[in-house]
Amino acid sequence: MDWFEAISENFMVAGGRPREVIDTVRGHYPVVMHGVSLSIGSTDPLNRSYLRDLADLARRLEPAWISDHLCWTGVGGRNLHDLLPLPHTEEAVKHVAERIRTVQDFLGRRILIENISSYLTYAESRLTEWDFLAAVAEEADCAILLDINNIYVNAFNHRFDARGYIDAVPAERVVQFHLAGHADHGSYLLDTHDYPVRPEVWELYEYAVRRLGVASTLIEWDDNIPEFAVLAAAAAEARERAARATGNREPARFAPQLSGVASRAASAR
Amino acid sequence: MPKTKDDRVGLRRLQELLGRLIVAPDGVADGLAHERALPAGGLASLIAGDDRMTAAERVEVYANGYFYRLLDVLKEDYPATVAVTGADDFHNLVTGYLIVYPPTEPSIYHAGRDFARYLDTHPLRERWPYLADLARLERAVLESFHAADAPALEAGALRALAPAQWPALTLRAHPATRLVESRWRVDEVARAVADGARADTTSATPAPDGAGVALVVSRRDTRVAYRAAERGEDVALRLVLAAQAAAPPTLAAICAAIAANVGDAHDDLPASINRMLARWLADGVLMQSAD
Repeated sequence: MDWFEAISENFMVAGGRPREVIDTVRGHYPVVMHGVSLSIGSTDPLNRSYLRDLADLARRLEPAWISDHLCWTGVGGRNLHDLLPLPHTEEAVKHVAERIRTVQDFLGRRILIENISSYLTYAESRLTEWDFLAAVAEEADCAILLDINNIYVNAFNHRFDARGYIDAVPAERVVQFHLAGHADHGSYLLDTHDYPVRPEVWELYEYAVRRLGVASTLIEWDDNIPEFAVLAAAAAEARERAARATGNREPARFAPQLSGVASRAASAR
Repeated sequence: MPKTKDDRVGLRRLQELLGRLIVAPDGVADGLAHERALPAGGLASLIAGDDRMTAAERVEVYANGYFYRLLDVLKEDYPATVAVTGADDFHNLVTGYLIVYPPTEPSIYHAGRDFARYLDTHPLRERWPYLADLARLERAVLESFHAADAPALEAGALRALAPAQWPALTLRAHPATRLVESRWRVDEVARAVADGARADTTSATPAPDGAGVALVVSRRDTRVAYRAAERGEDVALRLVLAAQAAAPPTLAAICAAIAANVGDAHDDLPASINRMLARWLADGVLMQSAD
């Protein structure tokens, strides 16, 4: 393994076993923080207490970077504990980008925003999902965590060409990839993170690497978690496929690379 | 910039509507039937539907995700409570719980925080009078697991003191120490479930003499344990726990409180307190003193 990703909220605890685990891992490996509750697209004010806790955790863990999702997770003070999509409109771009800039100023670093899987789209959307993602990243001057499985899932759920999505992503902003498994529910695919990466998603990953370049790649697995050897094998496959996609003979190294936007993501402004 | 403000009001109303439909306890269709803020074109004018899934079915994916994600979390947090009630009753409990105590914190860890309080006044307590206390014990175990780290007070530290220093020794509870008080031996139920007993073979026995039982939850390194407190030990624990924010009690004050509580009922109070202290040190009940 080259590095690990920690779900930020799981380690915003006072102590005990979670802290023991993350401190031990961090003592041996680089770590990135991946949050699920930033709710960057909500119309509720940003949760300053959460931002302080995020900053405190970052001071302790010294992550290579911090990421969260392009979504909203609740409104009216409630947390729905899910990643809900936004309408793809210019107004939503401005709303989200302004909040990302505020968060980046607060944390003193750029963050990565991840494309989510989704099961609905809005009638008022005027931009494609990929143009929305690119516009938000451009206006906020943030980095992108590109989830290849989510692109595949959304391409099925909303009937678009996954490769066209990848073609439109600004390559210089992509700092990390996610890969994961999903469940087939017939009329829709559900992003469950409880299954091996499907062959079609591996193919899309190779396409993404050819188009966007090699970037640190994480295998996500949140449920029905297999033996570690299975995860390690998946990570090894990602390295080999990335190498194959770029014509290199050696497997790709996925140490968090801090070049270009990535280095700006990690350093203070 | 009026246009932007109107659009943000639009975005807020859209999020509030979806928020209501996702948490509707009887499903999206029922939520829509009671919804007063729909535009003339209905949900379909806001959310795209197609030949595979209608707008309502797409929102239903999120509604199911919301409920079943939280049900899974509560099942993991309260395995003994689930074992006692069974899956169907637990499902209904969680449905009701989420209406009264919807999650508000960034971490899903807090979602089940008020479950015991919800059970305190639930009609199911007619069938299982100890249910809320069982949940309270399970929550205390979870909180202990996640509590702040601190060096535990060790036996060696006490042995290093001269006997004359012992009475003035101040005792502080470790951040992971908890006390759960009940009229029922819910610790036995929790332990039986953890050992794999079937729910219908477990039912909580009342504490002896109706006096109630104090359950001590403590953590040693990262392992959490719980047991019934000895007679008089609950008095001492209440003192060290209550004092966390203020002046911690001295060992002398604790001994006096125990003596006043158990009176003549103890043959050898000093030996008993010695055993209690040894147990506390072994279990990590106390925190190293700053003194």
